[in-house]
Amino acid sequence: MRNKIASFCEAILLRKHNETGKINKMDILPQFILNSIIAGAVYTLVALGFNLIYGATKFFNLAHGVMSAIGGYTVFYFAKTLGLDVYVAIIIGVVLAGLVGFGLDKLIYLPLRRRKASNMVLLVASLGAMTALQAVIAILFSSQFKILSQNVGTQKLSTILGGVITQTQLVILLSAALVTAGLVALLYKTQFGKAVRAISDDEEVARIIGINTNKIIGYVFFIGSAIAGLAGILVGFDVGIEPTMGLGLLFKGVIASIIGGVGNIYGGVLGAFLLGFVENFGILKISGEWKDAIAFALLITFLIFRPRGIMNK
Amino acid sequence: MSQSTKWVVGVILIVAVVAIGYFVSKGSSEVSAEPIKIGVVAPMTGDLAFLGEGIRDAMLLAKENLGSTRYTYKLIFEDDQMDSKITASATNKLISVDKVDAIVSFGSGPGNVVAPIAEQNKVVHFSIASDPNVAKGDYNFIHWTPPSEENKVFIAELQRRGIKKLGVFEGNTQGAATLIADLREKLNGTGIEIVTDQVFNSGEKDFRSIIAKAKNSGAEIYLLMAFSPELEVLAKQIKEAGINTPLTSVESFELSDQVSLFEGEWYVNAADSAIDFIDKFEVKTGKNPTLGAANTYDIFNLIVVAAEEFNGPTKPTPDQIASELTTIKNFSGVLGNLSVNEDGIVVSKAAVRIIKDGKPITVSN
Repeated sequence: MRNKIASFCEAILLRKHNETGKINKMDILPQFILNSIIAGAVYTLVALGFNLIYGATKFFNLAHGVMSAIGGYTVFYFAKTLGLDVYVAIIIGVVLAGLVGFGLDKLIYLPLRRRKASNMVLLVASLGAMTALQAVIAILFSSQFKILSQNVGTQKLSTILGGVITQTQLVILLSAALVTAGLVALLYKTQFGKAVRAISDDEEVARIIGINTNKIIGYVFFIGSAIAGLAGILVGFDVGIEPTMGLGLLFKGVIASIIGGVGNIYGGVLGAFLLGFVENFGILKISGEWKDAIAFALLITFLIFRPRGIMNK
Repeated sequence: MSQSTKWVVGVILIVAVVAIGYFVSKGSSEVSAEPIKIGVVAPMTGDLAFLGEGIRDAMLLAKENLGSTRYTYKLIFEDDQMDSKITASATNKLISVDKVDAIVSFGSGPGNVVAPIAEQNKVVHFSIASDPNVAKGDYNFIHWTPPSEENKVFIAELQRRGIKKLGVFEGNTQGAATLIADLREKLNGTGIEIVTDQVFNSGEKDFRSIIAKAKNSGAEIYLLMAFSPELEVLAKQIKEAGINTPLTSVESFELSDQVSLFEGEWYVNAADSAIDFIDKFEVKTGKNPTLGAANTYDIFNLIVVAAEEFNGPTKPTPDQIASELTTIKNFSGVLGNLSVNEDGIVVSKAAVRIIKDGKPITVSN
């Protein structure tokens, strides 16, 4: 027994020695920066929708993550099973995720809000919705992991500053930038955006000044869920899809939101990229199995020292 | 013979036949009334369902081919999705509700979950697992090619190909840790070194950063130790990183239902099972035997041999089956002549295989 423990410890030490002793950090730095940006872009898409909904409703919508699975599986069904054009399938996926989010608000959250249910009740309701939707996806498509991409291993690779990036990852970066810009324009350049911001500041006052808050919140659910659906589709093309994929994405989106400033759009983006960089550079010198532990350590650090996040005072 | 004598002889014959029939049927019912229940915990749904289905089919095939036995045998299947939490609840259900006499589990992770429960409840447990810790105790057994056997063959193949630098990507599992620890030990003095060892958690899907770390290590081949779907995602991301270094594995490639991803790559796995078994399996299922199917077939027969050896009027207790199992030597199984060693391990050999036209082909047994 003692020998086994000794050899196990030796194996861990050797593993660390190999990782630290032979890697030229300058060679892998560009790839790490690119990986961090790609991860940040994915987290941005999840955090944007999550923050938008949180800003308007002030509750943690745990069902937000499952919208990404709905987006991914819709594309899988229409493009891979029915053979529909992939771009049409993507549009259907984004819209369907938005509609499911809208439907959840109208069928579950709105009646609860009308009954003045607490945020804890809404959170539990969203947990139930998440579990039910995940189960439905697993029943319809099985819980087996599926790959959306048609060109596994044959994607065109681009080199940026010494780092390799695939076409799908370029689309993820572009999508994150466009969605962020579009959402900022929507919130700060339109009447709808003003209404959303008014509700985020104080829903009661917004209602008093004549804003149909329930209608606006319904639209917010549609937009936020559609963005999560898009995130799920892109992750599906980059990695693959499974019914529980939303939970992992939601965790990262929530961490990004909290460290950036929950409810704050810019904070979500900042938090997402900070998380992407910390998570990837955190494992530069230690084993990759620490990645999630690093992400949650960052969250705990912020909860202790800056609970309102970077952007919120 | 008078009419009355004929009547007397006739009555005596009828009484004798009825009496013999009664006592024979009474005697046999005492032996076979209560079947020996064997519970099987395997992934019947989820990413590894194809392996669980192979195990189920092999078990059913073994039962169909049983022939005449003193006792009857009943199989009960439970799905654990190869998730330890589900393994624990499935095992508890088999023991407390189904009252099984023996449990068969698949994989070192689930095996490590079932082993202490089986030991505590005095139920025979046979695992298709590489971790020798699973076989600890009086009721636990393993039927698998142990890491030491697989590593011997793996190192010999590395040497034959002149490979000096090995890179490792390993999922954080008991089976992979055991195999890599043994590999490190065996590589000492061979001139082959592990130049990078990247460990990742189960469920991880973003391997880009650990691939970047491994990329410049100078590895001449990468050893992938992972389950599906991490295995497929890892292989895909290695290709997407522009790495053309060959990939290899110990067992892992056959844990994937997309073996074509590894076309042309060699790897090490358990040695081939008997042709007769492969033919029977193909006739029954229309497929090649999956990983662990031959072991499952042998395990069923080993339990039967141990139980039948007891030869008592009532079915043997799990305690008696476990005791008989430890005495089995040179049993003719589909994986060769099998013996249960003093650690409760049934050792079988390893072989080098290659993926050709999307199918595993044995290069050397």
